[in-house]
Amino acid sequence: MKRRQGWLFFIIFLLTFSIYLLINFPLQLGLDLKGGSQLTLQLVKEDGKVTKEELEAVNAVLDKRVNNLGVAESNLQTLGRDQLILELPGEQNPLSASRILGKTALLEFRTQKDNTSSQLKNLQLQRLKINDLIEQFKIGDKRNEETSLLLIDDLTKIENDINYSSNNQQLFERLFETKKYISNEIANLFNKTDLSGKDLINAGRRQEQTNNNWEVSLSFSNDGGNKFAEITKSIAGTDKLLSIVLDGESISEASVGSQFINTGITGGAATISGNFSAENARELEVQLKGGSLPLPIEIVETNTIGPLLGSKNIVRSLYAAICGLIFVGIFMIFNYRILGFVSVISLIFYGFFNLALYSLIPVTLTLPGIAGLILSIGMAVDANVLIFERIREELINGNTLIRSIDSGFQRANSSIIDGHITTFVSCFVLFLLGTNFVKGFAATLGTGVVISLFTSLNCSKTILRFLTTYQSLRQKNLYLSKSNPL
Amino acid sequence: MTSFSFNLIKNKNKIYGFSSILILLSLIGILYSTFNTSFKKPINLGMDFIGGNELRIERSCKEECENISPDAVIEKLKTFSNNKNFINNIKLQIQNNNSLISIRTSYLTIEESNDLISNVDKILGPLNYESKNTRIIGPKLGKKLLTNCATSLLVSLFAISLYISIRFDKKYALFALLALFHDLLIVFGIFSWLGVLFSIEVNSLFAVSLLTIAGYSVNDTVVIFDRIRENLKKNSDNYNKTIQISVNESFRRTFFTSITTLIPLLTLIIFGSYSLFWFSVSLTLGILIGSYSSILLAPSFLIKD
Repeated sequence: MKRRQGWLFFIIFLLTFSIYLLINFPLQLGLDLKGGSQLTLQLVKEDGKVTKEELEAVNAVLDKRVNNLGVAESNLQTLGRDQLILELPGEQNPLSASRILGKTALLEFRTQKDNTSSQLKNLQLQRLKINDLIEQFKIGDKRNEETSLLLIDDLTKIENDINYSSNNQQLFERLFETKKYISNEIANLFNKTDLSGKDLINAGRRQEQTNNNWEVSLSFSNDGGNKFAEITKSIAGTDKLLSIVLDGESISEASVGSQFINTGITGGAATISGNFSAENARELEVQLKGGSLPLPIEIVETNTIGPLLGSKNIVRSLYAAICGLIFVGIFMIFNYRILGFVSVISLIFYGFFNLALYSLIPVTLTLPGIAGLILSIGMAVDANVLIFERIREELINGNTLIRSIDSGFQRANSSIIDGHITTFVSCFVLFLLGTNFVKGFAATLGTGVVISLFTSLNCSKTILRFLTTYQSLRQKNLYLSKSNPL
Repeated sequence: MTSFSFNLIKNKNKIYGFSSILILLSLIGILYSTFNTSFKKPINLGMDFIGGNELRIERSCKEECENISPDAVIEKLKTFSNNKNFINNIKLQIQNNNSLISIRTSYLTIEESNDLISNVDKILGPLNYESKNTRIIGPKLGKKLLTNCATSLLVSLFAISLYISIRFDKKYALFALLALFHDLLIVFGIFSWLGVLFSIEVNSLFAVSLLTIAGYSVNDTVVIFDRIRENLKKNSDNYNKTIQISVNESFRRTFFTSITTLIPLLTLIIFGSYSLFWFSVSLTLGILIGSYSSILLAPSFLIKD
């Protein structure tokens, strides 16, 4: 008896501790409950075998970029061997984030090859033309078939001039593919140097004084500054240009004046002015600050949830959970009377312990997570039903109340443990292999199974023992329903 | 002492017949779905597995939202959009008194998806952006998710089988697993039919529900087999009769636990978010079938002629 009382105090202590935890460490809600955007990023490697180091390196670079995005409480995590999950709470349009994160942002400085001036001039001219077409396309009336036909005509001319044809059927995509091709071709007219994005220590952006365009400023490390001086010195005063290449596309070409012929451009700073809009300049700045990605990534999933929908989801889930609890409680009390009452109390304990464990681990609560929690209510009661049925049989067989309770718990033990283990196995596998979405379900159902083992075997028993210390609660008929349903 | 009596020995063949019919219907559904539908798959795979773009958004109307047919909206979208490819495969529904718009298309980039929303706003606006829900899944991820789900299912079925065969002797383990596959096949078959008849799709939560059903069904069967073993130890004279008694003794328990699990699921179906609707439905079906198979089908396997 004394040992049981010890348990009683222990359980009450756990309950108080759980409530304390819940007050001080509120539950973390997933994006489907509070609104925001979630992006799944896939590392792209040809043989598909991404190493742990590569994943970490990509994670580190993206982490820096994410921090510069300026979204509060953003969260970047690795998922499996080759994916990352980025959560942007409150963000309703992940377009800019996706552009910033998706680029490899490999910055190179290249010097022009010999005898390529005429080719370069032609390509630069074509690039101007295509930029012009893109502008026209953006402001043009898209419903007007004539305008798009004119654009297609012009585009085909450019494509013929550079011996290229895009396979894409969509005009918009075709324009960009052709532009990319031209920028690639320009970059190919230049020789690589040993100066790259790795030699940067910072990047910034500012508006050009002459027009509305933006430029991106670069600060080199000591070593990078020296390299830059060397490179500019080698082409100063010649007709060779310096090209700044981002991800294989030349974004800006510039000449180096003859005044730098002796020292090159010193001071360890440079600017890129390539017709940037404010947004583009910001994107490049963030990318350069974070450094280039060791492996390219692709955004394979985007999920955006409005804040109103999130709060609706919370209310709906709460209704479902509370109604579930109430109806299950009514059902149990109706069928098992005092025993049913005990199971309701232990269910309440169960609920608190579960939530407390979520804030302790911590488990982020998502919609599938709530489904797991609600489902686990049913499974927690399952254990109680097993025990109570055994107790009932013992009572019908004429055993005393205390003995019936003891052997009821004892005999139901192995079935309960078996059942919990099989469910736990499923959860474990789901958690290991599942997607983020699925993991939420596996986590809550899994913790539910573990806690239910404790509450159904221990809490119910302790509460029952406590109740049976009262003489008035020891009548057998309080434990057996008069009419036997079924 | 049992308050319930069911003659398992006599009704064994009826149970076999009933299960055979269910399995046959499921197989027909699966085969029909594989060969006679546009999707050519055993089950209608949803966006999670094939990629695509899903948009749900509410209209903010002052009073009642005006009625507009989905076809008219699609026609208008055609004239508004730069990229006309996706229009051919668009599915557009307007629900809840014309107030909720849901659109499914093939894979779009974020930019194209934003364009789509602003075009929808022009046609059906103003929209309530606070209620927006968009999901974009690339086709590559879809394939990965599908293999992922299939592996999870196989691995955990294997793990459960392993546990059961250690826990019970071979005969019991085999029968418990047969009952389990019976349940999974039927739930799968029902969703094949739902896909064929009502174009209901399955997503990754469906795989999760199958796994949960597996755990539940095995759990249920284990409880009954435990009871049978226990009773056979006490009384091995009349083998068939003992099994029948054990089943009747366990009946109340199985019935009650099914109900206590079904109650929360029904509240989820009624109150829960739409994204959990079909998940709850498949769990409900699985638990109904799982309870039937563990209390009636699995013990029938043990009955000797």
